Amino acid sequence: MADTSDATQKPIQVKLVLLGEAAVGKSSVVMRFVNNEFQANKEPTIGAAFLTQKCRLEDRVLRYEIWDTAGQERFHSLAPMYYRNAQAAVVVYDITKAASLEKAKSWVKELQRQANPNIVIALAGNKLDLVTGQASTPGTSAAASSADDEDEADDATATPGETEEEAGSESLRQVPKDEAMAYATEAGLLFTEISAKTGEGIVELFTDIAKKIPIEHILASRGAAAGGAANANRAPAVNLNETSDPKNACAC
Amino acid sequence: MATISTHLRNFKEPTKEQAQRLFFSLPPNPPPEDVGPTDYRFEINAVLMLNEGQEDSYAGKLYLLPPYLCFVSLDRRSVKMTMPLSAIRRVERVNHGRAGVFELGLMLWHGMRLNIQLTALRSTADAFCANLRDALKIQLDLGRMKQVKQFVKTCYSEVLIPVSNPEADNEREDGSIMTEGGDGNALAKTTYHGGLGLTFKFPGDAKKLREGSKLKLWTTYLRAHGRNLTLLRYPHCTRLVQVGLPNRLRGELWETLSGSIFLRFSNPGVYEKILRDNAGKTSTSTEEIEKDLNRSLPEYSGYQDEKGIATLRRVLTAYSWKNPELGYCQAMNILTAALLIYMSEEQAFWLLEVLCDRLLPGYYSPSMYGTLLDQRVFESLVQRCLPMIHDHFHDVDVQLSVASLPWFLSLFINSMPMIFAFRIVDCFFCMGPKVLFQVGYVSLSSILKINGEKLLSIQDDGAFISLMREYFASLGESAHPKATDPRSRAIIKFQELLLVAFREFSIINDEMIENERRRYRGEIVHSIESFAKRAAIRNLSSFGRFSKDQIGLIYDNLFKALVVAPPPPPVMTKRLIPGTDDEMERPETRIELKTFRIFLAEIATWARDEYVVSNGFQERVERRVAEHEFVDRLFFFWDINHNGALSFQDLVNGLDGIMFNDLMSSIEWFFTLHDKDQDGWLTKDEVLVLSESLLFIFRSEVGDAYLGTVSRFMTNAFEYGDALLPEEGEKMSPIPNEVSANTELAPSLPSNQPYLNRATFRMVVLADPLLEAFFDVDLPRSFKLQPVEDSSAARGQTGLGLLGNVGGFLSSFVTDDNKKIFNSFVDDMGKAIGKHQVTVRPSINQHERNLALQEPLKETTRHLQRLRSQSSLTTPTSSTPSGVSASPMSSQSNLEKAPLVPPTSAGLKPAPVLPSPFTDVSPLAKANAAAAAVMENRQAFAIDEAGDEDDLDDSDLAELSGDDEGMMAEVDAFLEQNDASVGAR
Repeated sequence: MADTSDATQKPIQVKLVLLGEAAVGKSSVVMRFVNNEFQANKEPTIGAAFLTQKCRLEDRVLRYEIWDTAGQERFHSLAPMYYRNAQAAVVVYDITKAASLEKAKSWVKELQRQANPNIVIALAGNKLDLVTGQASTPGTSAAASSADDEDEADDATATPGETEEEAGSESLRQVPKDEAMAYATEAGLLFTEISAKTGEGIVELFTDIAKKIPIEHILASRGAAAGGAANANRAPAVNLNETSDPKNACAC
Repeated sequence: MATISTHLRNFKEPTKEQAQRLFFSLPPNPPPEDVGPTDYRFEINAVLMLNEGQEDSYAGKLYLLPPYLCFVSLDRRSVKMTMPLSAIRRVERVNHGRAGVFELGLMLWHGMRLNIQLTALRSTADAFCANLRDALKIQLDLGRMKQVKQFVKTCYSEVLIPVSNPEADNEREDGSIMTEGGDGNALAKTTYHGGLGLTFKFPGDAKKLREGSKLKLWTTYLRAHGRNLTLLRYPHCTRLVQVGLPNRLRGELWETLSGSIFLRFSNPGVYEKILRDNAGKTSTSTEEIEKDLNRSLPEYSGYQDEKGIATLRRVLTAYSWKNPELGYCQAMNILTAALLIYMSEEQAFWLLEVLCDRLLPGYYSPSMYGTLLDQRVFESLVQRCLPMIHDHFHDVDVQLSVASLPWFLSLFINSMPMIFAFRIVDCFFCMGPKVLFQVGYVSLSSILKINGEKLLSIQDDGAFISLMREYFASLGESAHPKATDPRSRAIIKFQELLLVAFREFSIINDEMIENERRRYRGEIVHSIESFAKRAAIRNLSSFGRFSKDQIGLIYDNLFKALVVAPPPPPVMTKRLIPGTDDEMERPETRIELKTFRIFLAEIATWARDEYVVSNGFQERVERRVAEHEFVDRLFFFWDINHNGALSFQDLVNGLDGIMFNDLMSSIEWFFTLHDKDQDGWLTKDEVLVLSESLLFIFRSEVGDAYLGTVSRFMTNAFEYGDALLPEEGEKMSPIPNEVSANTELAPSLPSNQPYLNRATFRMVVLADPLLEAFFDVDLPRSFKLQPVEDSSAARGQTGLGLLGNVGGFLSSFVTDDNKKIFNSFVDDMGKAIGKHQVTVRPSINQHERNLALQEPLKETTRHLQRLRSQSSLTTPTSSTPSGVSASPMSSQSNLEKAPLVPPTSAGLKPAPVLPSPFTDVSPLAKANAAAAAVMENRQAFAIDEAGDEDDLDDSDLAELSGDDEGMMAEVDAFLEQNDASVGAR
């Protein structure tokens, strides 16, 4: 998913922040996306963990700078430090825990009021693996889950839009998909259900975000200044004065 | 809404004694039995000599702070001693035969001999000795001396330096130095505490760390300067800490240097007891802890093992039970994991307490204000000392704290290679929090030096983090790789970092940090509080019909009430019922009745008693919270979920239910409020209660028009109620026959007999123009959302003493306490010159004026006014001179109003007795004068006057006091005569 053999390409930096209640699996989502692995998190989250991942979208290379914030309530007041200037946010909730959607909604509200006005927000219901015994959204995540050998990895064969209550193993589910989706549509968010454990939907999630980000706008405002963060010392002279909008000043 | 915390408002600068205890790392609250019945604290100049002058002598100050004896050298840096009295074995007067020298010889547990010359007057020295003797006796009687022997066995240093029984033999035993901890025999004899490192190996290469020679140096030091409980800190100690502690001694020295050893010493068995008492219990904290156990130093082998994980779990859990308000905060797991490598669970537990309570205050609290504050302080230090970095970061909008926050929160443990981080922790426990600032600061400046170009070309947070990571990862590399001299090539970056931090940047000292903290505290508190407010408002599910600003005012008033009467700790609602959905799981601040009364008093005019106090100099309104069954009724009425407590949302909903009401809905609301079983009928008792509620609301109104109205209401209600009764019998289908049979037998009605229905109530109300006006306009408007005065409170300097002390022309620059003193002083003066008067301010009819301004007077209102003015003409006003509550006049007026109000002056503080030239005047004459003053200054009809007093501001007050120019001469005379007493106050 995330290889950039094309060395000539200058990655476009996208600051992305993950928010959501504690233990909904934010860190796991990032681990899945960045390392394509599911494990007990080895990166203790203090304030926020910072990871990067490159990602190809059509002919462009994006470099996600991911801020995986601490979910503990008391870190809430620190969150603005991480979501300011972010171009994208993934608000994660746990589909087996109704309260986590409420918290997600409150994050969305906060982002819409306090964050960068152009921020792309995606709502992601995690832990899909817990409710998909036989039912699941189609496995378009083949690329991501190729390395998976988790139990449910290959069970992804079901029709989209199926009402969740019909499935037998839905008993754990507390948030109906249509309900969350209706909310997301109303609030103008991207929406998907994912599983960090199986990898289902993870790459699609980040791809959808990438598609929705006004890349042209970023490129345009960035002007001539360019350079990858991996070799930032090659581009020491980014002209600050050109970037009136600091959110786009992500050239290194 | 989550939780609303007001504890930031309660911050107080430490008192002198607290500051002393902090300085000497003493437990904050010594047990009373250890302190003794009398105050033995003593402070005396002294010269400290160790082991008969083998070491340098230091002049300084000796403090007796039972149960500790402390000393600090004059420079407050070189020598420091904190000695539990129980570690002192013998005290003797040393007789040098020299006159004027008062010297004490102290024999300590570990056999050191401490000579202390008391350089003070003989009498002072004698007094000190007496106190010391008594304080020592208390310790002896408590058996503390015996505890020492058991306790020191838990310390590794006892293994390192074996001592023959010091009680029997004060001679030193010249045993050989046991460099490798004596795994064999010594271990068998003593049960010293140790960490996971003993089992899972310590991080780092022991050879590279030069464990052996470090241990040897420490052994020498500890032998001469005491150890564990008796450690003396001489300059050499700090130097040894700076080169890094040996792994085996690290845990013990951490607890000794930080002072947590004293907590462990004075609380034996407490840790185990907490674990026992809370075994099997769970809480939010335990759940949060569980999630983080596997991500706490996972690279250390001890935490890949269930044994290590269980150790960590127990310590964190025990602490969350010990300090439930703090509970658990991420980053504590990392710290604790680090501690546990070097120390036992019990040791780590008490060190965690010292960390959270003293060394990193407020870092892990629910608001994390300490973290935010120190980040702000750090930023300001960088701004001052590294302006280049600061300006660049400012330009490209990079925030320093994205990188520096974890440094401070986890003492660099997560940020740099462990072995280096532990050395910073060594220094931190020895020298205090300034170390974090110094290291953070020097790291930045080193990067600036090494790689300035890169640092100054950073464009975003991510690049900054990466650069910092890169630097910290390279700390093990040579600082001068190109140097020709192999010795300077061998210096690694980390060594240089520490060196620079402690040598060049000693400018960052405790005092400076304290000053900076003081400077930014208000700002941080304010931003946390406004953040919390925004979040609370955002999380409301409904605003009702309120605007966002109005909701903000409701929140402000709620917050103010919370400051005055803090709520119980937030509870996990419905937590204990298994199987319920977890939507209610999040803790939420809910207020109890006590807080609600204060909240309501802020909002509803009738829920407070307002006294207009004027004394010829100033006029102020003093508010007191009214207590009445009606307020309690409202509380339970708004508590729709029967939680016994109200949330912010409940308050918003409750206020929404009345503040926008018109005549009919107000009547409906009032009826429902008193209809306990909600069956649409009031019982006779409920009608009585409702009448009482009306009387309560009207208690402060001028004249007896309202009193008359209420009695008319009762007459009418009972008339109609009785008339309804026969019909009632038919309607009583739900009530069983036996009950109705009873009804007929008993002459009085049973308490649950439906009596008055809505329609009848409405009719009775509408029959009375005054009541109609009340329900139409006055009642909804008696709820007013007003901005909370925030001047002194918001800055967090003082707690709110008085509830909303409005007015006083000095209010802008006096604290609440001073204001109180000032007020009572001017009251006294006012009394003396016969200008003092206290008026109860009406709570209802003050709205009339506003009404008149806003719309043409309604017929009813005019009628109302007529009624009021009539009554004012015929009856005395309710003005009551204060200070003459015993006078016949006052009791008379009280008598007249007896059914209406509680005695107006009962709640008033008796005026402090001031010696004054007027004391010879008989009370009666004074009363007469006061009464005359009252008549003279009597308010005109409350309708005209009282309405706008809410808006009194400073200029009004100045005017008021300015009016009384003629009086100033008198005042001056009074002041002159009272000068002495004023000064004394």
